[in-house]
Amino acid sequence: MAPELLLLALSVASYAVGALAALIVRGMVGRALVAVGALVGSLATLALGAWCLATGATLAFAAPWLPLTGLALRADGLSAFFLVVVGLGGAAASVYGFGYSAHYDGRYSLRLLGAMFNVLLLSLAIQVLADNALTFLVTWEAMSLSAYLLVLVEHDQHGTVRAANWYLAVTHAGFAALVAAFLVLAGGDMTGSFAAMRSATLPPATRNVVFLLALVGFGTKAGVIPLHVWLPMAHPVAPSHVSALLSGVVIKMGVYGLMRVALDLLGGGPPWWGGVVLGLGAVSALLGVLYALMEHDLKRLLAYHSVENVGIILLGVGAGLMFQSYGLPGLATLGFIAGLYHTLNHACFKGLLFLGAGSVLYATHTRNMEQLGGLISRMPRTAACFLVGAAAISALPPLNGFASEWLVFQTLMGGALVPHPEAAIGMAIAVAMLALTSGLAVACFVKAFGITFLALPRSAEAERAREVPASMQVGMLVLVGMCVALGLTPFLVVPVLSRALAGLGGLPLTPIGFSLRLPFSVSGVTGEMSPLLVGVGVLLLGTLTAVVLRGVADRRLRIGDTWGCGRVGQTPRMEYTATAFAEPLRRVFAELYRPTEDLSIDFHPKSKYFVRSIAYRSEVEPWFERLLYTPLLSALRGAAVRVRQVQAGSLHLYLAYMTIALLALLVVARWSR
Amino acid sequence: MTAAFVMAAAQGLLALFLAPGVVGLIRWLKARLQNRRGAPAWQPYRELRKLFQKEIVVSRNASWLFHLAPFVVFASTLMVAVLVPVLAAPLPVDRIGDLLVVVYLLLLGTFFLALAGLDPGSAFGGMGASREVTVAALAEPTLALAIFALARGAGSTNLGEIAARTMADPLSAVSPGHLLAFAALFIVMLAETGRLPVDNPATHLELTMIHEAMILEYSGRYLALIEWASALKLLVFFVLLGNLFVPWGLATALTPGAVATAAGALALKLGVLAVAVAVLETRVAKLRLFRVPELLSASFVLALLAVTSSFLLR
Amino acid sequence: MDATFSQLAMLGSSLVLIFGLILLWRRRVPAYINAFTGQSIALAGVAGATGYFGNEPELYWVAAFLLVLKGAVIPALLRRMGRRFGTERELDPYVNTATSLLMAGLLVLFGYAVMRPLVATSQLPTRASIPLAMGLILVSLFVIVTRKKALTQIVGFLMLENGIALLAILGTYGIPLIVELGVFLDALLGFLVMQVFVYRIQETFQTMDIGQLSRLRH
Repeated sequence: MAPELLLLALSVASYAVGALAALIVRGMVGRALVAVGALVGSLATLALGAWCLATGATLAFAAPWLPLTGLALRADGLSAFFLVVVGLGGAAASVYGFGYSAHYDGRYSLRLLGAMFNVLLLSLAIQVLADNALTFLVTWEAMSLSAYLLVLVEHDQHGTVRAANWYLAVTHAGFAALVAAFLVLAGGDMTGSFAAMRSATLPPATRNVVFLLALVGFGTKAGVIPLHVWLPMAHPVAPSHVSALLSGVVIKMGVYGLMRVALDLLGGGPPWWGGVVLGLGAVSALLGVLYALMEHDLKRLLAYHSVENVGIILLGVGAGLMFQSYGLPGLATLGFIAGLYHTLNHACFKGLLFLGAGSVLYATHTRNMEQLGGLISRMPRTAACFLVGAAAISALPPLNGFASEWLVFQTLMGGALVPHPEAAIGMAIAVAMLALTSGLAVACFVKAFGITFLALPRSAEAERAREVPASMQVGMLVLVGMCVALGLTPFLVVPVLSRALAGLGGLPLTPIGFSLRLPFSVSGVTGEMSPLLVGVGVLLLGTLTAVVLRGVADRRLRIGDTWGCGRVGQTPRMEYTATAFAEPLRRVFAELYRPTEDLSIDFHPKSKYFVRSIAYRSEVEPWFERLLYTPLLSALRGAAVRVRQVQAGSLHLYLAYMTIALLALLVVARWSR
Repeated sequence: MTAAFVMAAAQGLLALFLAPGVVGLIRWLKARLQNRRGAPAWQPYRELRKLFQKEIVVSRNASWLFHLAPFVVFASTLMVAVLVPVLAAPLPVDRIGDLLVVVYLLLLGTFFLALAGLDPGSAFGGMGASREVTVAALAEPTLALAIFALARGAGSTNLGEIAARTMADPLSAVSPGHLLAFAALFIVMLAETGRLPVDNPATHLELTMIHEAMILEYSGRYLALIEWASALKLLVFFVLLGNLFVPWGLATALTPGAVATAAGALALKLGVLAVAVAVLETRVAKLRLFRVPELLSASFVLALLAVTSSFLLR
Repeated sequence: MDATFSQLAMLGSSLVLIFGLILLWRRRVPAYINAFTGQSIALAGVAGATGYFGNEPELYWVAAFLLVLKGAVIPALLRRMGRRFGTERELDPYVNTATSLLMAGLLVLFGYAVMRPLVATSQLPTRASIPLAMGLILVSLFVIVTRKKALTQIVGFLMLENGIALLAILGTYGIPLIVELGVFLDALLGFLVMQVFVYRIQETFQTMDIGQLSRLRH
C-alpha cells in the first residue's frame, strides 16, 4: 500500500477510535483516549499533507460502494496544504483539550465533546480531499453539524443556545447556496468527479452565477462581512480548544472552497470576481478589527480578529484572482501564496491566542477583561505564550504574521503593473486599508495583553489565578514554536506553496520561483527581506546592548511604588481600563460606531462637588448588521406566520398532509415523462 | 561584500551617535528662534550620560516585561538604523529589510513601549500607551501609501533601489507624486516621533502629552535607552526624508572620497530638516488630541494624491 | 521640453488643488484668504507657463490679470470684510474635518475617473493635469455644500471659479482672452453681490452662519 493511503487510513481509524472512546469510556481515561485519538489522527493528517507537498505525490481513492456518499478522494497541492493546516490546528487543540476538558467532567457532556471533536476533525480531513460534489457537500454538512453541537456543549451558559441557532441558520443558508452552486456546476450529476467540472465549458453568465453562489456559501463559513454575524457569537461560547479549532481551521474551509471553485473548477474569471473578493476582504479586515477594539470579552475580541484575518487572506486571494484575469501569472501566484501563507499563520497564532484565552478562562472563570489583570506574575508561561501570539497577529517582525502580511503588501503593490488605473488605485486603497488594519491590530493587542495580563488584578478571581496544567501549556508551546518557525523561514515556505499551486486553474504548470538571491531572504516582485536576519539582528543588538550596559552603566535598582501623584498605596481602581484604553479610537471612529452613552452621577446631598457614585454605560452596536438583517428577519417571521395556518396541531391533519404528499409524488413519478 | 557590511554597521553606529546631537540641535535652534540662549546642541549627550549613571527605581507591580521593553525598543530602532541608507546605497543589507520592514520594526518598538506603559498600573502610563497606539495606528495608512508611491516610481520597496532610481532620473524628484509623498511623510514623521503639533516633547506633566506619559515610570539607564531610541527614530525619519526623496550625495561606491561627500551631504540635509522642524515647532501650537486624526487624514489625502498623480503621469 | 512642461503643469495644478484642500482643514478666515491668494498665484504661474511652452502670448495677460485681481484685489476686499465682522470661525460644519478630507480625496479620485476618456484621447502635454482641475471643482462644490459661514462659502465659490479657469487653461490653452476677461468680471461682480448680501445677513442676524437663513421661511 502506498504511504499516503496508509496515512489516510491511520488518521481515519484513529479519529474513529477517539470518537468511540468518548462514547464508551468515562473519566480521565476517556479524556486521554479522546485526546490520543485526535492527536494521532491529526499527526497522520499533518504527515499526509506534508508528504504530498514534499514529494508531489497525489492520492486518489474512490469508494463508490459506500452508500449515499459516492466517496471519491484525491489530494493535490491545495488539498495537501489544507491537510497541513487541519493537522496542525487539530494536534495542538487535542493536546490542550486533554487538560482543558478536565473541568467539564460532571458539568457538561464529555461524551458529546469528545465524540464531536473527533468527528469534526475527521470531516475536515476528508473535506479537503473530496473529489466530487457529493463527497464535498456531505463532509461539509458533517463539519457544520459537529461544529454546531460543539458550540452547544456549554448549553446552560447565557447566550450559548442563541449563538448556536444563529450559527445553524446562517451556515445552512450558506449550505443552500453551495448546493445550488454545485448543482449548476455539475449539471445535475453530483457524483461526477471534479475533473469533469474542470473540463466543462459553461456560458459566462452561468459561471458568474456559480461564482456568486459559491462566494455566498463559502463567505458564510469564512465569516466575511456582512455574513459574519454568527462568528463573534458562536466562537466565544464554545469550549476554548474548540474555539481555537473553529477560528483557526474551520473558517479556513471557506477560503479552501472559494479557491477550489473559483480558481480550480472554474479556472478564474473576469477581473470583477477578484475585485469583489478584494473589496470584501478589505472591508472585512478593517471592520473586523474596528469591532474587535470595542470588545472587552477576551474571546469575542479574538473572534472579531478572525473576521479581520479572513479579510487579509481574501485580500491576497482576491488580488491573485484579479492578476490572473489581467494575465499576470507571477503576481497571481504571489497573491495566492500570500493568502495561503496567512491562512496557515492565522491557524497558528489564532489557535494559540484562543488557547491562551482558554487558559485565562480556566484559571479565572471570566472572559471579561475588566475583571482581569496581573496575570503575568501568576501565570507567567501562559502570559509569555499569549504575548508571542499577540505580537504575531499584530504582524510584528520577525514572527509569522509579518511574513505573510509583507507578501500581501507586496502583492497589492504589484497593482501598479495593472494596465487599468481603476484597478490599480483600488489596490492602492486596499494597501491603505490593510495598513490601517494592522496598525489597529497593534492597538487592539496592546489592549488585550496589557489589560488582561499586566498591572494589578482587578478582581478576586484574577488575584487567585494559578498557572494551568502541563498539557495545556504544551498545546500552546507547540503553536508558539510554529509561529516563530513560520515567521523566520518564508524562504522555505514560499517555494513549497508555489509548487503546491502550480498548474491549478489557469496558473502556470511550472512553479514560479521568487528569486532567492540571498539564501535567507525571500523576494517578491518588488522587494526583499529576511525575517531570519532581522530577528537575529534585533536579538544580537539587544544582547549587545545589555552586555555593554552591564559594563558601563550604573547597576543599582530600587523597588518602589508606582507614582500616583503623591497618593500612597496603589489600588486596581487607579489603573487604566480596557474601555478607557479604546476610548480615543472610539471617538475617532464615532461616526462608524455610533455609541450610545448613559452617564448617571449620584451627588452627595450636601454639595454637588462631592460625588458618591458614577455609573457609566456605553454600548457600540454594529448598526449595519441591524440594517441588513432586521428586514430579512421580519420577512422570515411574516412568512412563518403565514405558514402557521397549515399547522393546526391535529395529528390527523398531519397524517393527511403526508398521505397527500405521497399521492402527489406517486402521480408525478408515474406520469411525469 | 565584507566592506559593504562593514559600511552598513558603520552607518548604524554613526546614526546612533549622531541622533542625540540632532535632537540637541533642534532644541538649540528653537531656543534661538524664541530669543532664548538655549543649551548647546550636545546637551542630550550629557543627559544620557547622567541617566546612565543613576540608580533606577522600578515599580513593585512591574513585571519582566518592564525590564525587557527598553532593550527591545533600543535594539529594533538600532536595527532600523542599520537598514536605512545613511551614507551609502545600495548596500547588501537592502535585502535584509525593505521599507516595510523598517515601518514594522518601528511598530515593534511602539508595541513593547505601550505594553511597558501599562505594566506598572499607573493611569498615566495607560493613558500615554492608549494615545501612542492610536496615533501610531492612524499614521499607518499614510505611511503605506507613501511607500506605495515611492515603490511605484522605483519598482521596488528596497531602500537602496528607491534612492538609486531617483538619482538616475532627477526630474522625478520634483514630480508632484514625489513632493506630495514627501509632505505626507513629513507630517507622519511629526506624529510618529512625538513632535509638535501632535505631541510636545518638552513637557512632562500635561494632560495633553502622549509619549512622555507612557514612559513616566522609567528612570536611570532604562530611560536613557528609551530616550536614545526616540532620538534615533527621529534621525531615521530624517534620513528617510533626506535620502529617499533627495538622494544626491549618497555614496554609490565605497571610496573614501564618496563617503566623505556623503557625510557632508548628510550633515546638510539633517541641518535643513532640523531647521524646518524647529521653525515649525516655533510657529504652531499643539493640537488638541482629537484634532490629530484630522491632521493625519490630511496627510493621508496628500499620500493618496501622491499615488494618484503617479498614475496620472503615465 | 514637453516632459518638463507636463511635469511643471502637474506640479502647478497639484499646488492649486492643495490650496483648495486647505479650506477643509483650517478653521480661520485669514487662513482661507491666504490659501486663496496662494492658489491664485499658483494658477497665474500655470497660466504663464502654459503661455510660454504653448506659445500663447495671450495667456501672459491672463496670468497678469489673475495676479492682480485674484492675487491682490479680491484678497484685500476679503480681508476688509473679515476685519469688519471680526473673524468668525468655521467650527461646526455639516461634515467633520477628517471625513471631509477623506471625501475630498475620493472626489479627486472620482474626477480622475470621469476625465479618463478625455485624458486618454488628448494629445496635449497638459492632459495629465486636467483631472486635478476637475478635482478642484468638485472639492470647491463640496466646500460650498458643507460649510456654514458665508465667508467660507465665498472663498469656496472663488476657488470653484479658479478651478474652472484652470480647466480652461489646461484643456484649451485658454479660451479667447475676451471670454476669459468676461468670466473674470463676472466673478468679480458675483463677488460684489455676495459681499452686499453678507453685509445684509450680518445686519439682520448678527451672524454670518447661513444655517440661520432657514429661519426666513417662518
